[in-house]
Amino acid sequence: MKQFIRKADIILFIVLVIVGLAASAALTLSHGEAGSSAKVIIESGGDLYARYPLAEDRTVVVPAPKQKAVDAPEADPDEAPSAQYDYYNVVVISGGTVSVTEASCKNQVCVKHGAISGPGESIVCLPNRLVVRIDNGSEKGGGYDSVTS
Amino acid sequence: MTQSPRKTSARKSLSASFVARVGLMAALALIFSYVEAIIPYNPGVPGIKLGIANVVTVVALYKFGARDAAAVSIIRVVLAGLLFNGLFGMLYALAGAVVSLAGMILLNKTGLFSVTGVSMAAGVLHNLGQLLVAAALIEDLRIFFYFPVLMFSGIAAGILVGIASALVLRVLR
Repeated sequence: MKQFIRKADIILFIVLVIVGLAASAALTLSHGEAGSSAKVIIESGGDLYARYPLAEDRTVVVPAPKQKAVDAPEADPDEAPSAQYDYYNVVVISGGTVSVTEASCKNQVCVKHGAISGPGESIVCLPNRLVVRIDNGSEKGGGYDSVTS
Repeated sequence: MTQSPRKTSARKSLSASFVARVGLMAALALIFSYVEAIIPYNPGVPGIKLGIANVVTVVALYKFGARDAAAVSIIRVVLAGLLFNGLFGMLYALAGAVVSLAGMILLNKTGLFSVTGVSMAAGVLHNLGQLLVAAALIEDLRIFFYFPVLMFSGIAAGILVGIASALVLRVLR
């Protein structure tokens, strides 16, 4: 045991601290970014309409409940939604973000809302009773603490 | 300074002195584990703790060599797991112990680092090993949100354990 602290120790310490700081900086920057298991949950008229992984790009046409009351054929991807439905929203999942690109309603609040990407965020379309939200995908008890003993 | 008495004794797999020595040190480490287990503090994040029992491991490494340190550490972790921490806790701790042991032995081999530095690295590696096992068990990489916290707590705990070990070694030599 020559010295208490040697030069190599200090270098190692600095390296470790830098790694730690870099990791926390990276985590802070990506804070709120949804994990790979995040789900996009689409609710229509208060009921679950569909659930998709946030990581997969897709476009969903959601007919509003009052449309469904009349007739609800499956959305035809080849036709424009406005030609098929009177009341609808178009939800687009793309590159980890979700947005409503088209809506039948007048105020277009949901379209102007823009894209959401973080867990817990949501887009709401009141006229069509649509809620699009991102869930972090941990439905089995929710927390990390469920396994730690 | 590392392998003083063991070099002379025949390199048998389990000499009596090895068993006795390791048993003694494991018992001491187990007491430290117990003392730590009954201290009522809750840092909020699982995995943050001082790890005073590792003083024994570090001292064993420097005084008697890698084999003793590994034996003491593994025995201590298994027993403490069965007695205080539960099976999952044991699994985490075992992973941490193996990773940090490997790191300590390697860093010690280089001869560049002091006790404090080796112990600091061990603290960090211990937490990293635990985190990897936790990620594998929970199957959720988002647990790496804990990484920076565990990193810094590992550095701090490792340095404290290292200083304590250095003081002990200074007396023991």
